[in-house]
Amino acid sequence: MTQPLLQHICQLFYDSPIGTAIRESDYAFSLIESVHVLAITLLVGTISILDLRMLGLVLREVPVSRIARAVLPLTWAGFGVMFVSGLLLFWAEAAKSYLNPAFRVKVVLLLLVGLNPLIFHTSVYRRVTEWELDHRSPWRARLAACASLLLWGGIIVAGRAIAYF
Amino acid sequence: MFSLQHLFTTLAQSPLGHYMQTSRWAFAVIEMVHLIALAALGGSVLVLDLRLLGVTLKGESAAAISQDLGRILLVSLTAMILSGIGLLSEEALKCYFSPAFRWKMALLAAAVLFYFTLHRRAVQRASYESISLGQRTTAVVSLLLWFGVGVAGRAIGLI
Repeated sequence: MTQPLLQHICQLFYDSPIGTAIRESDYAFSLIESVHVLAITLLVGTISILDLRMLGLVLREVPVSRIARAVLPLTWAGFGVMFVSGLLLFWAEAAKSYLNPAFRVKVVLLLLVGLNPLIFHTSVYRRVTEWELDHRSPWRARLAACASLLLWGGIIVAGRAIAYF
Repeated sequence: MFSLQHLFTTLAQSPLGHYMQTSRWAFAVIEMVHLIALAALGGSVLVLDLRLLGVTLKGESAAAISQDLGRILLVSLTAMILSGIGLLSEEALKCYFSPAFRWKMALLAAAVLFYFTLHRRAVQRASYESISLGQRTTAVVSLLLWFGVGVAGRAIGLI
């Protein structure tokens, strides 16, 4: 075996019955892709409302934690749909995805966008009761909001670019 | 004589159309803008209509939420229409004859009209305590119309 381990795993996905079935079906890939595209609204559309609130651009009179309670369940639901549909799309194309530069960028951005809430929720968000009424959140919360908006935007861009490589 | 088909032909032959048809990356870049604006538009519609349904943010006034999320909606809708014209100019005649594109335009017109009329009235009348049947119906119709625009839009590339 001269391939790198990751490439080998991708090839196994690609050659598996499920991967092959999705790739060879007339409709499966397009249908899953449509779900993946429309669920962007559920995932990115909802979390960006929380980000814009912390930046002080919308709903300034509503406490940050109340917005978080309203949108995060939707965001997580969106993440579930995106993860499952994305995994199925990857399954069908894994061997090609591995070599695709846009796919690689997307994976890196996804890892970063996962790190962001981990840092946010274990640091500045722990004291949210102290600042949730502020029209503009503290700079560390604003930094997390900007990172979230930029990373999700980048993920959409990289995701769309996958089809062009 | 004016015809819609003539208008689409003019768009395809315009400098914008030429640029979109010959540039290697223009279509992809405009598609990315269209998708980012879709995220913002869909998120604002969803949260606003869930508030009307009484699912989220029940303690906040629907009118206040609508004022702020309505701003996101209008900015992203403008971005979607402008980027959409760019995408359309690349393949205007194909779109003119595409049933999916025609459905999308009809649903878009219905969704926008609904948003500025009946939806707006339901938001102004929404109260904190009880959620009327009319209010619920308005929210569901709004969600279905916008969802329909998205599905039809996705279908343009497939059929």
